[in-house]
Amino acid sequence: MENNVLTYRAAGPLLSLRRYGLLLAFLAVCIGLSLTTPRFLTWQNATIILTQVSINALLAFGVTFVIITGGIDLSVGSVVAVSGVVAASFAHPDTYPVIVPVVVGLLTGLAFGAFNGFVVTSSKVPPFIVTLGTMTIGRGLALILSKGRPVSNLSDAFNFLGGGKVLGVPMLIWILIAVFALCAVILRKTVLGRYMYAVGGNEQASRASGVPLRTVKMAVYTLCGGLAALSGILLTSRITTGQPNAGLSFELDAITAAIIGGTSTSGGTGTMTGTLLGALLIGVISNGLDLLNVSSYYQQVVMGVIIIGAVVLDSLNQTKKA
Amino acid sequence: MKKHVLLAAFAAFCLAGCQSSEKGGAQKLVIGATMLSMQNEFIVNVNDAMAKKAEAEGVELITVDAERSALKQVEQVESFIAQHVDAILLNPCEVEASSPAVAKALAAHIPIINVNSETSTQPTAFVGSDDAESARIAMKFIADKLGGKGNILMMQGYMGQAAQLKREQGAKEILKQYPGLTLLASQTGEWDRAKALSLMENWIQSYGSKIQAVFCQNDEMGMGAVKALTDAGLKNKVIVVSIDAIPDAIQAVKNGTLDATVFQNASEQGAKAVETAIKAIKKQAFDKQTLIPFQLVTKQNADKLPQ
Repeated sequence: MENNVLTYRAAGPLLSLRRYGLLLAFLAVCIGLSLTTPRFLTWQNATIILTQVSINALLAFGVTFVIITGGIDLSVGSVVAVSGVVAASFAHPDTYPVIVPVVVGLLTGLAFGAFNGFVVTSSKVPPFIVTLGTMTIGRGLALILSKGRPVSNLSDAFNFLGGGKVLGVPMLIWILIAVFALCAVILRKTVLGRYMYAVGGNEQASRASGVPLRTVKMAVYTLCGGLAALSGILLTSRITTGQPNAGLSFELDAITAAIIGGTSTSGGTGTMTGTLLGALLIGVISNGLDLLNVSSYYQQVVMGVIIIGAVVLDSLNQTKKA
Repeated sequence: MKKHVLLAAFAAFCLAGCQSSEKGGAQKLVIGATMLSMQNEFIVNVNDAMAKKAEAEGVELITVDAERSALKQVEQVESFIAQHVDAILLNPCEVEASSPAVAKALAAHIPIINVNSETSTQPTAFVGSDDAESARIAMKFIADKLGGKGNILMMQGYMGQAAQLKREQGAKEILKQYPGLTLLASQTGEWDRAKALSLMENWIQSYGSKIQAVFCQNDEMGMGAVKALTDAGLKNKVIVVSIDAIPDAIQAVKNGTLDATVFQNASEQGAKAVETAIKAIKKQAFDKQTLIPFQLVTKQNADKLPQ
């Protein structure tokens, strides 16, 4: 169906319908939990869920960009670890102002992303393999830089980023809102965003119609690396320590959020709102299962069933309208 | 697979070559050590102690990392056998799956010493600690602090791993002895600080001021629980105890945020393992089982730990 740059506009109303399917699933889970435990639907619990979701959501936003262009990024979990460790090493009290660890951490992630983008665009190696490689490199570097041990004793200013509150609302939530808005604007309102859909919808056609493929791909991987670094820095700040083992299998959670949110793995479709809802759904379920004290063994099964359920519901909605 | 075997055989051949050429000079004993995971801080500490002891005794130590794979570990022991090392130190990945490694070494008449955890096949000797005991010590501390009555939460390690199962078993034994203690909930924090922080936040939401104590099966999770309780302004009302005595946890005990941790003596385990191996090689008398005792770390003794 998608043959030109304008496809994404045609996909517009369809996407919003898909989103409603997910929204219904999300509301159903929330209502179900509110009825079973009185502790679910409170302001305090809402802030807890949003805080817990934020790290994964930031990763998922980055991964959404990449998947829309028809790529994939498996290295985000490792980038969380390596940029967290790097940031932590510059965040000890009375050393550098707080901007230094943040900038150095972000640069680490951007460098990883740019490297992914460079290899993907200048070779025929599939992104799956390239980012599998950087995933291992990143984990190794995190272990080397930290000598396998957590990097602790971080300054209060740094710990405020992921642990502090402004106007009674946790910093992580403010950052989540700001980054979400920024990503949504990039995707919907900019030429770059339009190109992303075009590349993912039909790479050959987009090349023929003059889309700068290389630049677009470099941009999405670099963006994804940067967002992973931001997650890493915030996670480090939240747990007040840089952990070389942080972010293990985070890439799967992020990809899951994007896919539940309606991003198609074959590229060309997806929205930031969908991804945010996907991340929220995962967060609400895991919070709810903890509140209900469901055994850890069952939690995994329940989570899997709900993930499949959400996607099936979503696809039913899609075929009905198509 | 075949390639791997060939590669391993080739590597073993090369190493054996080096070794035999060296044997022309002084007869230096060689001990091979295969470690569960060199990404784990505790295991790294055990291995450091082994290396230190080996150097002091004038023994050559070859360390390889099994990266949590029992299959890899068995292959590593096979190549140690091919190299004709004088003894093997095995820090098992799994109780069952690492057992063939022990059987193979014994069949080749090479002494094999299990370090830190067990296999179902009996090795030449065992040096380590009883994981269940560490949990008993931690739970006993909580029971005493609460006067034998109160509500407890337990944060588990990665479900199904030997350490998680043993620590759960130890904790449950103490819970049985104190009928006044109620286990409100137990969930996994997967040994991870960030996961533990989220889980504790959810628990606070769920049980609030009912919580009187939290037992975490390792320090990483203990640190996460402390963070969540501190943020919620509940830390001074809730006792948190964890296991391992990693540097962060010892610091937290000194600061009074973590109430206690349990010290597992990595350096003692590593040194005793090498010592036992040398005795076994020289056919001197050695203990079939050396259990290094745990030590409860509280504010009173946090400054005096052996490093």
